[in-house]
Amino acid sequence: MSRTRVVFFTIILLALLIVAGSLAWRALNRPEPLAVTPHGPIQVRVITALPVEPWVRAAARQFNEDKHKLEGEPIQVEVIAMDGLAALGKWDRDEFGVLGDRSPDDLSAEEKARLSQFPTVWLPDSRYLVELANVTYKERLGRDVFLTDGEYRARPVAVSLFAWGIYESRAEVLQAHFGEINWRTIHDAAIAKGGWPELGGKPEWGFFKLVVPNPRKNVGGLAAMIAAAGEYYDRPDISTADVTNPEFQHWLGELMSSVTDVSGGSAYTAEDFALFGYSVGDGGQLLESDLLTNMAGIETRWADPLRIYYPKYVTWFDFPFTVWMGPETTALEKNAALEFEHFLLSPDVQRQAVAYGLRPANPEVPVTEGDSLFVRYQDRGVRAVVPRTEAMRSPDRDVLLALLRWFDLNVAQR
Amino acid sequence: MIRHSRGSRSFRVAFLGGLLALGILLIACCAVTLSLSRSISKVTSTSSSSAPTMPTDPHSAMLAVAVSPEKQALLQELAGRFNDRRLHTPDGKVMTVEIRAMDSQTMLDLALRQALAEGNEPAPIQALNPDSSLWLGQLDRTYAEQVGAGETIAPRIIADTVRYAVSPIVIAAWEPVARDLGWPDRPVGWRDIQRKARADPGFKWNHASTSHASGLLATLAEFYAGAGKVRDLTVEDVQAQQTLDYVAAIEHTVRYYGESETAILERARAEGRQFLDAFVVQEQMVVQFNREHPPERLIAIYPVEGTLWADHPLALLEQPGPTANQRRTFQAFREFLLSPEVQRQVLAAGYRPADLSIPLDGKGSPLTAANGVDPTQPQTTLQIPGPAVVSVVQDVWWYTKRHTNVFLVVDASGSMRGEKLEAVQQALHVFLDQIKGDRERVGLIVFSHQVTYIEPLAELGENRIQLEQAIDRVQAGGNTALLDAVRTAYARLRRLGEADRINAIVVMTDGKENASGVSLQALVEEIQQGNQAGPPVVIFAIAYGRDADYDVLRALAEASGGQVRQGDLDTIRQLYKVLSSYF
Repeated sequence: MSRTRVVFFTIILLALLIVAGSLAWRALNRPEPLAVTPHGPIQVRVITALPVEPWVRAAARQFNEDKHKLEGEPIQVEVIAMDGLAALGKWDRDEFGVLGDRSPDDLSAEEKARLSQFPTVWLPDSRYLVELANVTYKERLGRDVFLTDGEYRARPVAVSLFAWGIYESRAEVLQAHFGEINWRTIHDAAIAKGGWPELGGKPEWGFFKLVVPNPRKNVGGLAAMIAAAGEYYDRPDISTADVTNPEFQHWLGELMSSVTDVSGGSAYTAEDFALFGYSVGDGGQLLESDLLTNMAGIETRWADPLRIYYPKYVTWFDFPFTVWMGPETTALEKNAALEFEHFLLSPDVQRQAVAYGLRPANPEVPVTEGDSLFVRYQDRGVRAVVPRTEAMRSPDRDVLLALLRWFDLNVAQR
Repeated sequence: MIRHSRGSRSFRVAFLGGLLALGILLIACCAVTLSLSRSISKVTSTSSSSAPTMPTDPHSAMLAVAVSPEKQALLQELAGRFNDRRLHTPDGKVMTVEIRAMDSQTMLDLALRQALAEGNEPAPIQALNPDSSLWLGQLDRTYAEQVGAGETIAPRIIADTVRYAVSPIVIAAWEPVARDLGWPDRPVGWRDIQRKARADPGFKWNHASTSHASGLLATLAEFYAGAGKVRDLTVEDVQAQQTLDYVAAIEHTVRYYGESETAILERARAEGRQFLDAFVVQEQMVVQFNREHPPERLIAIYPVEGTLWADHPLALLEQPGPTANQRRTFQAFREFLLSPEVQRQVLAAGYRPADLSIPLDGKGSPLTAANGVDPTQPQTTLQIPGPAVVSVVQDVWWYTKRHTNVFLVVDASGSMRGEKLEAVQQALHVFLDQIKGDRERVGLIVFSHQVTYIEPLAELGENRIQLEQAIDRVQAGGNTALLDAVRTAYARLRRLGEADRINAIVVMTDGKENASGVSLQALVEEIQQGNQAGPPVVIFAIAYGRDADYDVLRALAEASGGQVRQGDLDTIRQLYKVLSSYF
């Protein structure tokens, strides 16, 4: 056999060996996918807190229309609205279905279907919710699932704070009677036995009605109770001992007795406050962005505008964009999530956040540009720069749970 | 040398050629390998996805929504328009919404049952649209009690909720009645109605049962008044004897209850003031009624002590979890309902739209004084207690409500043989199941060529089992002595003569009267005279199937101030269920 032929057959043999070896290698050592292999666009599922959901959804729509790509694949962002506390409950109960030590091959069809919907990003109301969820998973899995530093760290995309929103007719009476509006004077209004007439208001207004979101359905309700505790103790950090103090609980019970409805399935947001008007609430401490976006509607529907007041201790929500770091989502999905985060933080999209009453996380974007809500409602008490800046500190898990337990026993079941 | 160098050159050429060929082959091999492995993985993934079949299509984009009956027509129309748009999910499925009308209690039971169901049975509904958020709170609470006892952050069935239309609950009164109560010169409230009903035996008012938001509100207002409070109603307040006595006294002035606001409005339309002086409904119903230019208009009274909002929440059920596409359909339907065009339609239907930019007093708005309503009202709402208190109020109401003496008169003639009788037997069991209060008196009269069986009237606490057994024993055969059977029931109720109870007959027949001793005319006269002389006995008649003697049944119902309904094999259960709500 000539040398040429030897070379030729050797090459053919080698080629066949490479094909067979490569197929055998793939069959025996098929790499386990991190999650269900994405088909088509890279899906980014964002569990989004309710106050920022309209803005994030609009941004996602724009992002999808712009056809952003990563490594040649288009990115598709899907927004799933969910209150921060409801989402925390789902993380706590592992309802999204983490893999843990299992391989995707071990999952049932139902589990696989669930895994294909695993959130890529959680955008809750406040950073402390992320910390609480991470602690749960650290105990369960022995590793962090949400990061506090590095490229994938939780990063605020907008901020807002809690402010008093009170119907003007009622606010004038309260100011005339008490001088200042704070949790202590609101408490006194709430317990006035003669209702509004005793405070100088009209008989048909009935009793003073406080608006506090249902803390079981809206994390804003917890924030309101913590803010009330802050003013009760006149300090920004609240401990478990503070919230279990019988005197404080009695005071809080009196305050909460003026809440009109804690029975419903509604989270009770500023939107409800606007929809049902003064008939269900004279005023309450709610998220500034929610109040601002409903100011116009309130004036149209109820012909009695809202007045805004800023409390002594300010509670901030920072809406952190938090990428899930577990193997349930692929590296490509995680990086696609970062693309969407950069988009949210871009000056144009940050300007759109202002239109939703949110304060931008990007410091280069002002809140007073053009006819923003912050400019339009200055006369109603809205301030571009918050006059008092002492912030309430994030409560720890035990404080939250103690307050929730107290609420269940003393308000929800009353 | 030359040869050597020539040979060496040709070897080099062959070697380089071989390397080139090897390179090309390697690239080809890689391509083949990649292609083959892709094919293999495709086959694998196809087979793995098809291996364990899930009963629910994991890609379904069909959203079934349970809707309370009063807005069924509006939602059917809106869902139809939404479906006509043929919106697609990213994977190409057409988004569709199906409307399934059912009362609030039925939808809650169904939602809870499917959330607790084990296995992968397809869930019949993915979203709820009851008349009030109150029911959603109760649903979440019941669910949490059953699956999440002890959990600090309780699991929930309801997550995403949207409101697209709201309407305050009002006391609807004919204009002269409203003026008599003090409207519009002074605020009128629950106490005025209660006072009037107790002082004037001729005053006829009504509210739905506590499974409707309007009925629950009216009942809560009575409990508040009975407890002497305007807020902070507790379980102890509700159960106090003084409160119970007060509420019972008020409830005894209720003419009878009813299945729904729609049914009440239909009868008000047909009978005018003869039917009722006042009743509790949503503001939207008053608008709808007055826009038809009736001879006498209704006035919406916003109770001064406070009212409640029917807020019609559209809620996505998280348990069992909807598919990603159903979630997308929910979101798309939500956006559709909140679109300016639909919101204007919502206003045109008499609801207050959720879109706050639409003024209620703008041009073309039906929320006008001419239509008997005031969009600046209500000024205040009644404090709604927590689910635990609401639940106790609903339970206790059965003891304080106006009690009932009701005879079930059942046709067992030959034409009822087979599935017809079986369906009626099931329906009668449903009727009994719906009446929770053991103090309600129920009797049973079975007839064919004559009255063949009588289970005397007795409190359900005593005879529930006997009734259930008697229903199961009914056998069909013979002719139809309908009038004799009705007369037997009527005579027994008249003999009791209990004015403090609702006295009623629920009679069902599938055929023509052909065996009675008494004539229709004689019986009608007897009923008319008897009802004028003593406590009235109301006849609710069911014409079962196409051959039923509708005219005879209508004559009996009209003579007594009752009503006649048509039913068939498919609807008979629901019909008996609906009629049970009158008691």
